[in-house]
Amino acid sequence: MNLENAVPMNVAAVKEMLYKIADDQLILGHRNSEWTGMGPLLEEDIAFSSMAQDKIGQSLAIYTMLEKLGEPPPDTAAFIRKANGFRNCIFVELPNGEYDFSLIRHFMYDTALALRFDMLTRCSFQPLAELSVKIRGELKYHTLHANTWIKQLGSATEESISRLQSSLEYALPYALGMFEISPFENELAAEGIFQGEKILQERWQQKTEEIIKQTQLNLPAWNTVEAVTGGRAGNHSEYLQPLLDEMSEVFRIDPSAEW
Amino acid sequence: MNSIDPRVNRLPKVGQPGVIKPKAPLDQFGTFEVFVQPREGKPFQHEGIVHAPNLEMAWVLAKEAFTRRFTCTSLYVADTRNIFVSPMTEGNQNAYDLIPEVADKEGMQESYEIYHLAKRGKQHVHAGTVHASGHHDAMATARKEFKGKLVLNVWSLRTGDIRFTTPDEKDLWQTLPEKKFRDASEYKGGDRLKELIERLNPS
Repeated sequence: MNLENAVPMNVAAVKEMLYKIADDQLILGHRNSEWTGMGPLLEEDIAFSSMAQDKIGQSLAIYTMLEKLGEPPPDTAAFIRKANGFRNCIFVELPNGEYDFSLIRHFMYDTALALRFDMLTRCSFQPLAELSVKIRGELKYHTLHANTWIKQLGSATEESISRLQSSLEYALPYALGMFEISPFENELAAEGIFQGEKILQERWQQKTEEIIKQTQLNLPAWNTVEAVTGGRAGNHSEYLQPLLDEMSEVFRIDPSAEW
Repeated sequence: MNSIDPRVNRLPKVGQPGVIKPKAPLDQFGTFEVFVQPREGKPFQHEGIVHAPNLEMAWVLAKEAFTRRFTCTSLYVADTRNIFVSPMTEGNQNAYDLIPEVADKEGMQESYEIYHLAKRGKQHVHAGTVHASGHHDAMATARKEFKGKLVLNVWSLRTGDIRFTTPDEKDLWQTLPEKKFRDASEYKGGDRLKELIERLNPS
């Protein structure tokens, strides 16, 4: 089989799934890069910036895959679409705020992403399965970094614990929005592409509990948290468009420029 | 003043008149030494330090601080305070000549890692492992083992004090060779710059 030109059976379903993953990665990669030069300590600044760069690199790989499926090229996908054309969850577009929120988001988001790509390594669409193996390796560091910080700061001082606790409570409803049900759930599952957001969410909750249990932080009962959804359908918060404007500012000066 | 920029919040606050108090110690993390193996089969070498709250965090931060470019197969870290340093020498004087030949053998035998500095300004490179009852004994044992080798400085580090990379973590560097965009050498603007200058200044 020639993987270069491989096409999945249900192209529309796969495209929808790829856009939401790539958009999540691009937007959070951009958000996290806003910490560059302002991180709480030099080493953390480097690590966080480096992971932000990984995210943008991974989004590029997925936009490139979308291009092979007939979608516009990566630069167009990233810089030309309006906010309502983006399929990212609202969670990733929220402003950074203080570092405690960025760390909690990093922990919750990358835990989910690592599990998602682990599931996608068994995807029936071969090019995506292969890309997922590669991305899973990079994400291993991202989750290790997040887990180590959460375990450290989640049991360190009164201030660190209370800051993380309030960020965690603020973040949870948005975090659940990562698992917004897709209109293609059944098709994706039936064709062996992706087992579904429900299964992913269950695994994520389990993994999140496992790490939080090792700290002095508390998770509320899951059924008391209501997911903030809408992002996957293009309904975003007021924070996305300003981010897009800033991200595409240089590109828009001369879209035909060669970089 | 409240700001999302942490630097603004770190600015010293205006104090109360008449208040004199002892200087507060710096609120910062301790240091950890980072050793990197650039290629399979090559010895580990000292790359630098990271600040971190503990050994595990030091390993995590060292990974991006020191191995986000070029190639790497493994790294390890140890608390700076766990590294023992011989006298430094220069020229043709061997640091091993300044280490006592025999040391107290009392205590449990454990394994120690030995590092050599071959040249001023270079890095300490892993030379081998010895069994000894303490740092002094480790240096004395290394003196016998590496006799005749000119080194300017020797470090010893108890193997048990090291946070190693586990075999399971080795794939963290798998995609590193593809991240050429992190090297300045990947950006060759010279020709295009020359072209631009020529275009702007036609002679």
